[in-house]
Amino acid sequence: MIRRLALLLALLFAASLLIGDGIVALPHGIILAQVRLPRTLLGVMVGGGLGLSGAVLQGALRNPLADPGLLGITGTAGLGAVIAFYWGLAAHFAPALPIGGLLGAAIGAGFLLGFAGRAPSGPSLILAGVAVSAIAAALLALALTLAPNPFALAEITFWLMGGLGDRTLSQVALAALPILLGGAILLRLGPGLDALSLGEDTARSLGVPVSRTLHQAAMGTALAVGAGASVAGAIGFIGLVVPHLLRPWFGERPGALLLPAPLAGAALLLVADMLVRLAPLVLPMSAAPPVGVLTALLGAPFLVAIARRAAP
Amino acid sequence: MPPLRRLGGGGLGWGPLARRLPFTAALLLWAMGFPACAADHVVSLNLCTDQMLLLLAPEKIAALSPLSRDPALSVVAPQAAHLPVVQASAEAVLRLHPDLILAAPFGAQATLALLAQEGLPVLRIDLPADFTGIRQQTRALANALGVPERGEALLAAMDATLAALPHRDHAPHAVAWEPRGLTAGPGSLMDAVMRAAGLINASDGGHMGLEALLQHPPDLLIVPATPEFPSLATALLDHPALAALRRRAIPPALTICAGPFTAQAAVMLAQ
Repeated sequence: MIRRLALLLALLFAASLLIGDGIVALPHGIILAQVRLPRTLLGVMVGGGLGLSGAVLQGALRNPLADPGLLGITGTAGLGAVIAFYWGLAAHFAPALPIGGLLGAAIGAGFLLGFAGRAPSGPSLILAGVAVSAIAAALLALALTLAPNPFALAEITFWLMGGLGDRTLSQVALAALPILLGGAILLRLGPGLDALSLGEDTARSLGVPVSRTLHQAAMGTALAVGAGASVAGAIGFIGLVVPHLLRPWFGERPGALLLPAPLAGAALLLVADMLVRLAPLVLPMSAAPPVGVLTALLGAPFLVAIARRAAP
Repeated sequence: MPPLRRLGGGGLGWGPLARRLPFTAALLLWAMGFPACAADHVVSLNLCTDQMLLLLAPEKIAALSPLSRDPALSVVAPQAAHLPVVQASAEAVLRLHPDLILAAPFGAQATLALLAQEGLPVLRIDLPADFTGIRQQTRALANALGVPERGEALLAAMDATLAALPHRDHAPHAVAWEPRGLTAGPGSLMDAVMRAAGLINASDGGHMGLEALLQHPPDLLIVPATPEFPSLATALLDHPALAALRRRAIPPALTICAGPFTAQAAVMLAQ
């Protein structure tokens, strides 16, 4: 099953290189290497990070609605990146951009961790996440209003919805290290998450260091999501949807989802990105919309479905 | 900035009139019965009139708009830094007791209506989209300010600059690419600048994404000079995929407003 998922991802990767902005053709060298390759690589990295973070958060928090977007972590990451970008920090020191995203994500994840410790019930944690998201979005809008470049405010859609268009290979490289590092931390949490699914007390009695597992989940999520959001904005719902799509195939055990989740997240984001790039062919628009528009349009009804199933 | 320029091309009521009557500004002056040299306490509420007023009659300035001090937008920013500025609010303008108010065809509609109601003469200029329009407007404004000889001097310098541009046997194709993938098409001021510099505008004025631009790369890529602070829109102009294209960066201040200084943009493109 994992092999099939990996094969699917490889096929989607190749297809993504063939599809341009409203064009389907193998492009010449520069477009392939400098436009479509960074876009595709970023889709794999960001989608992978979101998918894996979603699987870990749903396991660690024992909450089927947990998602880095809904919990506000991508929102605070975007805020950190915006501050680093529009005031010229990243122009002078390129790593400032992912560092801004990571710091923002760490603040969001840290707040959530503290909140989860005091009020572990599912709905209240999601509500706290909604509040974090709202604050992050408001501060983001404020920051873009204050930003010295006159185009800044118009770019709020990119940061709030997320997009993969017109990014550079150097931005891919900047985001790669934190995402890989975060992924490595998260992938090792399987046994801890499996034990946690039986409840924190049971997990403790099984010898699982509960608070360390939760801390690592938060830190790994901040790394895997923060750097991605700093170059691709707050792409939503991938982390929420992926674990639910995988459970029928891989079972309910959180640990069993960790390996397929990044593959499925990457595949899902690549598909969504290809669809938005083809949108100008069928819809009256001059440029492809940001991919986050589509992930939200597809993901939000999914959220409603999960909420309805979870309702008593 | 480009949105400003696009708005200008749109013509909110005044554009069509101006196209039908090339001498709108002069005609307006005549209609309003301005005697030459009547105005000597002038308020400008628009970046474009700011620059023309400062170039033509700096001693008659009562106040300029705050944008006149922005070096990214205004060619007269250093001089404007020492001159009074006023926001486009009726109250602030009335306090200055101007005898002429200069404004653009768009923006501050309500304020200008109120000022006109108070009996203050408001002169709205149109935004020229070529050098012929610049000549007409400079003359009309110079007459309104009672300094026709200064207008002629500015235009003589501009025409000398344009005449000195080298002739090309083989005109290169160029695309003026702006933030968010907008391009300057026929009928725009940048198109006139490109023609003056001996370039062929390869764009029809539509949206052009990064891939579309790379698919048919022009001989010359014209971009606005990089601003001091970044945005995604302006960062795209420096995308590494464009590194192989010959490019020329033009300070946006030269082409946001049309004026005798716009000839400098053609000089930069012709080099």
